Amino acid sequence: MSVNDGAWKPKVVTFACNWCSYAGADLAGLNRMQYPADIRIIRVPCSGRMDPQFILRAFQQGADGVLVSG
Amino acid sequence: MKRVGVFVCDCGTNIASVVDTERVAREALEMPGVVYATNYKYMCSDPGQDLIKKAIQEQNLERVVVASCSPRMHENTFRKAVGDGGLNPYLFEMVNIREQNSWVHNDKEEATRKASDLVRMAVFKVLKNEPLQPGTIPVTKRALVIGGGIAGMQSALDIADTGYEVILVEREATIGGKMVQLDKTFPTLDCSA
Amino acid sequence: MVAVAQHPNIKMYTYSEVEAVNGYIGNFTVTIRQKAKYVDWDKCNGCGTCETKCPTKKLKSEFDLGLGNRTAIYKAFPQAVPNKPVIDAENCRKLKNGKCGVCEKICPTQAINFDDKDELITENVGAIVMATGFDLFDWTQTYGEYGYGKFPDVITGLQFERLVNASGPTGGKIKRPSDGKTPQSVAFIKCVGSRDDTKGKTYCSRACCMYTAKHSLQVLEKIPGGEAYVFYMDVRTAGKNYEEFYQRSLNAGAKYIRGRVSKIYPRGDRLVLKSEDTLLGMPIEVEADLVVLATAMEPARGAEEIAKLVGFSTDKDGFFQEAHPKLQPVETFTGGVYLAGACQGPKDIPDTVAQASGAAVKVAMLFSKPELSTQPMVSEVDVSKCSGCEFCVPICPYQAISMKQVEERGPKGPITRQAAAVNEGLCQGCGACISACRSGALNLKGFTDEQILAEVDALCL
Repeated sequence: MSVNDGAWKPKVVTFACNWCSYAGADLAGLNRMQYPADIRIIRVPCSGRMDPQFILRAFQQGADGVLVSG
Repeated sequence: MKRVGVFVCDCGTNIASVVDTERVAREALEMPGVVYATNYKYMCSDPGQDLIKKAIQEQNLERVVVASCSPRMHENTFRKAVGDGGLNPYLFEMVNIREQNSWVHNDKEEATRKASDLVRMAVFKVLKNEPLQPGTIPVTKRALVIGGGIAGMQSALDIADTGYEVILVEREATIGGKMVQLDKTFPTLDCSA
Repeated sequence: MVAVAQHPNIKMYTYSEVEAVNGYIGNFTVTIRQKAKYVDWDKCNGCGTCETKCPTKKLKSEFDLGLGNRTAIYKAFPQAVPNKPVIDAENCRKLKNGKCGVCEKICPTQAINFDDKDELITENVGAIVMATGFDLFDWTQTYGEYGYGKFPDVITGLQFERLVNASGPTGGKIKRPSDGKTPQSVAFIKCVGSRDDTKGKTYCSRACCMYTAKHSLQVLEKIPGGEAYVFYMDVRTAGKNYEEFYQRSLNAGAKYIRGRVSKIYPRGDRLVLKSEDTLLGMPIEVEADLVVLATAMEPARGAEEIAKLVGFSTDKDGFFQEAHPKLQPVETFTGGVYLAGACQGPKDIPDTVAQASGAAVKVAMLFSKPELSTQPMVSEVDVSKCSGCEFCVPICPYQAISMKQVEERGPKGPITRQAAAVNEGLCQGCGACISACRSGALNLKGFTDEQILAEVDALCL
């Protein structure tokens, strides 16, 4: 399995603010906008809730990418 | 380990057409703490909520996870159901497998895997949930209406008629807004003052 | 209108703007600026003598959209509520250069006060209804093909309303602004600024099809032998009795032409409209004496600012964002703040009245309970860990954290020190204080570090 043969799937952990980005992801759903299924969203009450340790832990546990949106 | 129940919603075909909800429920049974898992056509319906309430009692559930639509839609519905079932309403987590899964992905295998991942996430979290109690705050029973056009006037009058005080703020020297500039109004052609 | 002024439960502040809003659902403190009116309304009896004697007479009336004149001391219109005048400080001779004061001399109740100042008023309320309405899209900035506003006989629908209104500048007679003649042929252009991606707004303004039908009817009724041409993209009459009303205008003789007018230019004292009739598939030309544009509704001037001030969001067009388009059309994402009317999106009068009553019910629901329960997902302090560094205090956007004195056992008896305390009514549960806390004393109930880390772990298995 290599990055190029298409079989590899990244693991992207996303932290989304409940009021904007999480709502935005819901809106993408309402409009049936398709995107890759590799993304996993963790709902946070606000991007102000983010702590560097959350991001470090994700990488430590093997995440390929972390997206913080808010 | 706390006893967790997982409830997966089909949302008619909204979820079930893309996500194999039966498989998600089956896989949930392998997760830590999960003693009961099932799927149902409409979790938010009366029978769906009864399913949760009954399972709390019959299976002695201590934590509940519902995988369905966005928590922005039905979190309060299920919180109430969990509360009615005899648990603290905050010993509950919701998983979004509709807006953020079945509606945005086509590949059934990938979407089902994602749903299971998200359910696992909620199970891990709910195991750490503690009972919470809402506090109370006082309410000043007076309303402010900003704008004195037809919308503001109608709102102010209706609130005032229920017996509460209203403060109406208008930036022009007169109330009435755009509506008083109009002549007759459709479809009845009556006057607008 | 008069019902509002006379209602014992309604206190009106006109000529006033909201300057600051603090607090939260059930407990807002509002600062209102009442602008200087230079007329003591308690003394004024509304007789109107001042208006007739004011020497500054040729100011454009805002109420008549420039079609009529007003004086420097004025009421917007004779039936204003309250029926009292204000002085326009920018144009009053006395306030500008100290000479005049005619109104002061002739006022029978000595109500004129040239030393009047803006006044700040504080009110406590539990709920806020936003009803700031709309303004019309300024077509003169973008529609060069219609003359950028340099042809006086190209007017907006709202200006036309003033022309047909019995209390308007022409006493309800339809007359051309340029020469006061009665137009024989009136052309209406719909969707000016609406449904126009390139020059205006993407949305449909919803009321224009119906008021244009009404305007065309009024032309045909008021002008014997008059003609009404309506240029349209689509006719949208989705409302009870609306389609019937549109049919009535057709039966009365309004000529509907499907096409966008591409150019307006003068020919003699008339205007020529060049367009295509897309149903016939051929270019056409119509001569008219008066052209009325159905311009788009847009959020009222200052809407964005007041939304920020009260603390809720606007949508891509600047209209106020409802909490859910179908299920919560009058709520906002901010507790205790509700929406009514065109501030939320273009609306006609029936829909506005319905939404306004809806907002009123939401307010009454809120007030029907003796107290509110707060959401429990708020910050909590572990006092034993808190060092009292105050780092969290300025971080909190809601001023929910303060310092309090705590007493604890020390080696030589009890000692007092300070520690953070969270006001659960003010805390909105954003969690910004938690990552700021150096000693790990703060945590957010329902979203603790342990809970979020558990989620990360679960996803990365």
